[in-house]
Amino acid sequence: MSRTLHRLARSARRAASALFVAAIAPLAAAPSFAAETVNAYSIWPENWARPMFEEFEKSTGIKVNFVRFSSGEALARVIAEKNNPRVDVLFGGPIETFAAGIGEGVFEPYKPPAFASLPARFRHADGQWTAIADDPLVFMTNDKFLKENNLKPPGSWSDLLAPPYKNMLQMADARTSGTAVTRIFSILEVNGRDEAKAFDYMKKLRPNVQLYTKSGGGGTLPVGLGQAGGGIFFIVDALDTKAKGYDVAISFPKEGIGTAAEGIALIKGAKNPELGKKLIDWATSPAMQGLYAKYRINFVPAHPDVMLEPGLGEVLKGAKLFPIDADYAGANRKRIVERWIAEVLNP
Amino acid sequence: MASASATPLSAAAPGRPRDPAVAATAGVLWALLGLFVLYPLAMLCARMLTDHGTFTTAGIVAILTDRHQIRAFWNSLLLAFLVGIAGTAVGFLFAFTAARGRLPRWVLTTIDASVLLPLVSPPFTTAIAMIFSFGPRGLVTYDLLGLKGITVYGLPSTLFAEAVTYFPIAYLTLRPILAAIDSNVEGMARSLGASRWRVFRTVTLPLTTPGLANAFLLLFAASLADFATPLILAGNQFPVLPTQAYLQITGLFDLRGGAALSFVLLVPALLVFLLQRYWVGRRFYVTVTGKGAGQAPFDSVAPGVRNALLAACALITLVIVYFYALLLYASVVVALGANHAFTLQHYRVIFTDGMKAIRDTLIIAAFAMPIGGLYGILLGYLVTKKVFFARRTMELVAMVDYALPGTIVGIAYLIAFNDPPIELTGTALIIVACYVFRYGPTGIRATVALLQQIDKSLEEASQGLGAASGTTFRRITLPLILPAFFAGLGVVFIRSMTAISATIFLVSINWTLITVKILENITELSLGPAAAFSVLVVAIVFLVVALIGRLLRVLRAPGAMPMTSLLGG
Repeated sequence: MSRTLHRLARSARRAASALFVAAIAPLAAAPSFAAETVNAYSIWPENWARPMFEEFEKSTGIKVNFVRFSSGEALARVIAEKNNPRVDVLFGGPIETFAAGIGEGVFEPYKPPAFASLPARFRHADGQWTAIADDPLVFMTNDKFLKENNLKPPGSWSDLLAPPYKNMLQMADARTSGTAVTRIFSILEVNGRDEAKAFDYMKKLRPNVQLYTKSGGGGTLPVGLGQAGGGIFFIVDALDTKAKGYDVAISFPKEGIGTAAEGIALIKGAKNPELGKKLIDWATSPAMQGLYAKYRINFVPAHPDVMLEPGLGEVLKGAKLFPIDADYAGANRKRIVERWIAEVLNP
Repeated sequence: MASASATPLSAAAPGRPRDPAVAATAGVLWALLGLFVLYPLAMLCARMLTDHGTFTTAGIVAILTDRHQIRAFWNSLLLAFLVGIAGTAVGFLFAFTAARGRLPRWVLTTIDASVLLPLVSPPFTTAIAMIFSFGPRGLVTYDLLGLKGITVYGLPSTLFAEAVTYFPIAYLTLRPILAAIDSNVEGMARSLGASRWRVFRTVTLPLTTPGLANAFLLLFAASLADFATPLILAGNQFPVLPTQAYLQITGLFDLRGGAALSFVLLVPALLVFLLQRYWVGRRFYVTVTGKGAGQAPFDSVAPGVRNALLAACALITLVIVYFYALLLYASVVVALGANHAFTLQHYRVIFTDGMKAIRDTLIIAAFAMPIGGLYGILLGYLVTKKVFFARRTMELVAMVDYALPGTIVGIAYLIAFNDPPIELTGTALIIVACYVFRYGPTGIRATVALLQQIDKSLEEASQGLGAASGTTFRRITLPLILPAFFAGLGVVFIRSMTAISATIFLVSINWTLITVKILENITELSLGPAAAFSVLVVAIVFLVVALIGRLLRVLRAPGAMPMTSLLGG
């Protein structure tokens, strides 16, 4: 009897190991997809990227297989995967992320049909990236906080220095966020690129900043909840906060504030370059940018043929906006961010 | 017990020069460790020390001499030390109360269940609950206490959140050890006239020392590697290294600098580890003998003390339950803080758009769990009980991925396994491997700690009767270390469901994870779906852990300790 048991045990063991091998095999194999699938890293949040990609599939039959990362993470991956790229397209995200990628040689220049009709600031001269949207910065403040402190929504950069804001502002950390870099260059512009004056302002603002957040939108929820009184954010994030039902005010400084383009780029060595180009063609054209309004994505379209959604136009009415000069920002970004870390973040 | 294997008895084993089974297993383990621990780190070092093909250390030296990074380094050590102390103390409090308090079954189950909560949800959910409760407009600080101008960011709140998150590790480590102490030993001391306090101080506590050291080490390492909690709670006044390294890589695209910062962390992690080996290695405890001691009930705590212990546990449990009640509430209201109307919309979202992430996570966890559990006891057993080449080194190497910040392990895997010869990125295997080698060490530590209490004569008797080492392992040792197997397996499963720092770099367009979705939802301001996902994770883990508990009760191998309650079954 004990021999029968042994034999049973042995065959059970054999069956178990066969099962194990059969079960683990699919884990090792990367699933193969039909020819008509393009792979992308999206920097846009999924709730904006997904409807766009579904519309793309509807109109071209090409499926977009994507995963979402913040701009820094997406770029770090693209760089790490340089010798064996996993995706064909980097979708969305401020163009200063793309500018950093150019130095690493991760993009394949490509000029989509819309290239010719775009203003110079919405395209890289060699076609390393092309803009798909524009995104202005705004001041966003909590209504209840304003009321309790008898404040109006801030209408000037200097308003943010007022005592009630002490330890009550949240804004992004320049080490991780394109929002922060755009903010710092905005401050440089309104101070006539006088670095001493601009940094003097930022140092005065420092005691009012409760937290520098990792992501550009990281402070919107605390402001919405009233944990923070206000902050400086991109308009998409601010309007999204409002749409979620939080009572916040959106305002613009009279001195002006910067706006940054969002881009798309083809990855060098992409496995499906032709499909990737089709996605870029579509995303840079009115075909996609005309859909922003339908899905309540509050970006300003980059393509001149797409009308601005009236509600968004209303918010932006009278706002003084200026684009961040790509050449000036590109040449000085690293130095300015390092100075910000040394003098403002860790004095 | 390292020194045990060097005793004359074990060295003897006459007529059996080398055990082929041991040699083969050690060989396989070495190959796996080489491939999944050493090779990625070597590739990372290579990337760190070269700039376009030429050797350079300039970038690293610059970053390591920066005074802000040095401050962050000391901050990390301080935080890890305090978390280690606080977490071990709380863990011991719970373990001791559970093991010696003569508690009714339902109280034990309640404690176990709520203690597991922090372990089974992503760490930043505790952090978010902290901000919501203790921020400038927090439920507790503002609404309840009416305080104004409170700063929630900094060392105290980070310490609190990490201690709450990680003390269950100490509890899981200490509970089986306390349960394994033969209560006859304590009973004898008591009957010889020692006071309860004296018994505790001179018998119970020394017997628990290896466990306390293990718990401290595990907590120290966990805190040292945690980046999610400080990212949200530490603020700008209290920078710590894992967060700095993460920001260096993801923000400044400086892979070399980030890698250098992380390698600095390896130094204190290994130091603590070696110190603990040396310290614990000099004590030898035998409480599990072959004599089959009856577990005579022993009233080791006075009624008053027992009530005080219970009250302390209840208070901490209450805080945890409050945090998670808040999470549950956030998942069923439209928008926390703005619109508190009831809705199930968030659950609908996660079961449609989020279904792929749920499926992928479960598949990956199902594979990582048994492999990780097996890996833990095999390695723990080998390094404790067998003599073979570079045994100590193996234990050290196995701990490396646990001690390193996840960000670095993730980046190292990404660099090492993206290109031929070993192309694994984009597969589920790379995530499974990461979980096994990053979280399997919990099982190793538990196995080592348990084996240190098992009398060598048990195994020698088996071998003396002619059993091969494989048979001895299966028939004698395995039942005794079964609790460690399930502790290791449980932790790997839990971490498979909740970890993010390493795997955020390993998810791909083919395989994604719930935790990545949660972080994504939080950055998108979708607190509702994030909370719903977290509640789902908690529910799944509880279910699986309860099933394991049930299974164990059915199996109840002879000699195995009652450990159903350990896993909340």
